[in-house]
Amino acid sequence: MSGIRFAEPDVSRRRFLAGVGTVASAVVAGYTLDVWGRPLAAGAAAPVASPKGTRHRTLVIVELAGGNDTLDTVIPYADPAYHRLRPTLGVEAPIDLDGSVGLHPSLVKLGERYRAGTVAVVEGVGYPDNDLSHFASLANWWTAQPGAPGTTGWLGRYLDATVGYEDPLAGVVVGPRPSPALVGARSFATSISDAGGLAPRVPAWLGNSHDLLDAWAHFGDRQADRRALTGRVRQAVALTDDARVKLGRALGGPAPADGAALGAAAYGGGGTAEQAFAVAARLVTAARPPRLVYLTNLGDYDTHQGHAQRRPALLGDLDAGLDRLLSAVDTAGVADRVLVMTASEFGRRAQENGSGTDHGNAAAHFVIGGRVHGGRYGPPTSLANLDARGNLPFGVDFRTLYATALAWLDADPEAIVGKGFAPQPFVT
Amino acid sequence: MTRSATARQRAAVAHVFRRLSMGPQPDLVLATADPHAAIARALDLGAPAAVPPPMTAPPNYDSARVVSAIAEPIAWWIGQMRTSPRLIEERLIWFWHDHFATGLQKVQIPYLMWQQHLLIRQHATGNFATLLKAISRDPAMLVYLDGVTNTARERNENFGREAMELFTLGRGNYTEQDVVAAARSFTGWVVNVPGRPASRGLTNAPWTSTFVPARFDAAPKTLLGATANLDLDGALDVLLAQDATGIRIATKLYTELVGTPPPDKTARRLGRGFRDGGYEIMPLVAAITAEPAFLAADAIGAKVRSPVEKLVGLTQAIPPASVAVGKVGPRAGSGSAAGRLGLGDVLRTLDYVPFFAPNVAGFPKGTALLGPHQFVHAFDLLAVYPSAPAVPATVDGLFTRFALHEVGDRTRAVVKREPDPTRRLALVVSAPEYAVT
Repeated sequence: MSGIRFAEPDVSRRRFLAGVGTVASAVVAGYTLDVWGRPLAAGAAAPVASPKGTRHRTLVIVELAGGNDTLDTVIPYADPAYHRLRPTLGVEAPIDLDGSVGLHPSLVKLGERYRAGTVAVVEGVGYPDNDLSHFASLANWWTAQPGAPGTTGWLGRYLDATVGYEDPLAGVVVGPRPSPALVGARSFATSISDAGGLAPRVPAWLGNSHDLLDAWAHFGDRQADRRALTGRVRQAVALTDDARVKLGRALGGPAPADGAALGAAAYGGGGTAEQAFAVAARLVTAARPPRLVYLTNLGDYDTHQGHAQRRPALLGDLDAGLDRLLSAVDTAGVADRVLVMTASEFGRRAQENGSGTDHGNAAAHFVIGGRVHGGRYGPPTSLANLDARGNLPFGVDFRTLYATALAWLDADPEAIVGKGFAPQPFVT
Repeated sequence: MTRSATARQRAAVAHVFRRLSMGPQPDLVLATADPHAAIARALDLGAPAAVPPPMTAPPNYDSARVVSAIAEPIAWWIGQMRTSPRLIEERLIWFWHDHFATGLQKVQIPYLMWQQHLLIRQHATGNFATLLKAISRDPAMLVYLDGVTNTARERNENFGREAMELFTLGRGNYTEQDVVAAARSFTGWVVNVPGRPASRGLTNAPWTSTFVPARFDAAPKTLLGATANLDLDGALDVLLAQDATGIRIATKLYTELVGTPPPDKTARRLGRGFRDGGYEIMPLVAAITAEPAFLAADAIGAKVRSPVEKLVGLTQAIPPASVAVGKVGPRAGSGSAAGRLGLGDVLRTLDYVPFFAPNVAGFPKGTALLGPHQFVHAFDLLAVYPSAPAVPATVDGLFTRFALHEVGDRTRAVVKREPDPTRRLALVVSAPEYAVT
């Protein structure tokens, strides 16, 4: 990784490996390990308990699907090539970070947090041989297996190695459907599309769905005979109902400390990213927060056209959402236990296409939290050395960011994203 | 017969129809005397094949990428699953669609996906070797697994690897050198996409594939010990000659129909019989259904019912006026809380839309379908009825429509407690007995 301004990885691997030796009781919060299927396979890491009396840390992934335009996010405004490559789309007044790059003017609150020192901007993030297909590249980011994506997601493998089937609320997707990133081989994440939590979307003629769910819960039976598949289903129904009630409590509890109302509408349709972040704020400030919160469907970042109109709205919504989440986290006093990280399948072409930008390669990403040492990391964005297709070359493998987040969660990154991706010390 | 003996017999008949078609047609269950008669009926291909609706070939690439064009074909296909008299054919079409998983997310062209569906429909009950060779030059597959970018000069191993790992031998039966040799053998195939510069000069019909010798790697390859100037069919013949291919396909089909994997000995016997019989599909099906395990008591309800099977069973039990799919596609699923959900939204929420396999390994199966999300959103399937449908007034009558002939006391009590028959429908669809097949 020569030329990259990552400090030497002096974060001791001992710190996160220390946790692995701590074997949790087989029964956590009333869930037995094998209720939903077979027990953790031999060779899988034993469940990791968090140190006594402390809350779990929570990783929040913010997925900007479609390919976020990095040159319109962390803008190399001082680079003489910038306005030549972006003659109509170039931003005139970015929020200056250090005299050479600036944030898009819509990212006001994020700029304030950068100056406060809790935002790391990691530039040049990507992976080798990006074929610039949304489908292939998203699969690579979800699985953390570029070129040969398997059937489990990187966060699903984290859940496999930690909670297994025992806690369906350890990973919560806020989005219209489960994210492949959280698909495990022996674990379940929960996905919710709005502040209603784990609730069906029934047609109007069915009437009140709460009564139906209450009736449905009676199908559940924790003591059901698990030799028959229906017995395992009855156990799973009981656990799902328990998760549903707990989630409802977390989402419907007292108003968040920042006083802002929770967006009640389903954001997946006409709603906003800010509403999704409001749901995430409730989750991460709850008494028992999830270990993982994954935000998807935050808007269409695939800006081939209409770029100049769409970008300010997208980033303004993102900025408001991030501020909603981070303010709630600050107010709740849990800033040291929450890490927020962006993800997107690729950046966009340096040269504009007239009304927008096409698929590119590497991009800058944000890592935000009370334990983040703010600043710029990775190869500084330079328009002088674009690749053969006119894209920013990649310099930091996205799995390095994943490894950093996993180490921060006290997991073993190598078991989840493979060898060669050292956790970086800008998160402690 | 006593009432419980009748119920057991009916449950066994329903089991046969659930496994050998995409859902039990309730009247057929009641009209069939015993499970052996049910097997004979399910495997009977005497009725004429359905005539699929035609789809007009798009004039060019840009007009071809309208995802909504796949909504009607999905609705027609689900209709076939519900009502086709050729029961085993619909089960096998789904099985091969899942086996040769191809996703519109990447292919982007509904017309090509539909052509692939017609191909699978044509060969589903025929010959596996023929199907494998046809699907390996199928335009949608060539796009999905990057065959169109696999050339002598620039090799792309995607199809070569998956052809061995997923379509034939299975992991552990080949080396990385074999992957390279297979990929080289598969070079040279392209798709004529009208309006694309890369297709200029191609003389085959639009939207069909063709072999371009200049793109082919004509040097000798060594694949699984065989050295020759292998081409696509030559390499596939090498894969088909292996024991592992017959065993793997027989194992997978056995698991699909019986619900649990076969013992090793059974898998080897069925697999070698399959290969030695020239890969005829129906004799393999017949052999599997003749295994005592197929009708064993512990096979009944031993498999997790998929969302598509749930939808088919629901619409067989209580037929809606029509099965309109509505919006589909990667960015659908965005029905607002206030608006009415379409079936496409619902299937998308359940991550189980035909033609949109989530990844190369196909659709989720088994315990992956028993997560909190899948449970809670089983209710959403009722969006197939725009208004409250007519539902049998009695609980027993309702269970009979769903071909649920042995229902536990707990489930019966929960459903009975609900006084409104239409709301009982929601409880049956989400009941533990309906979560399995």
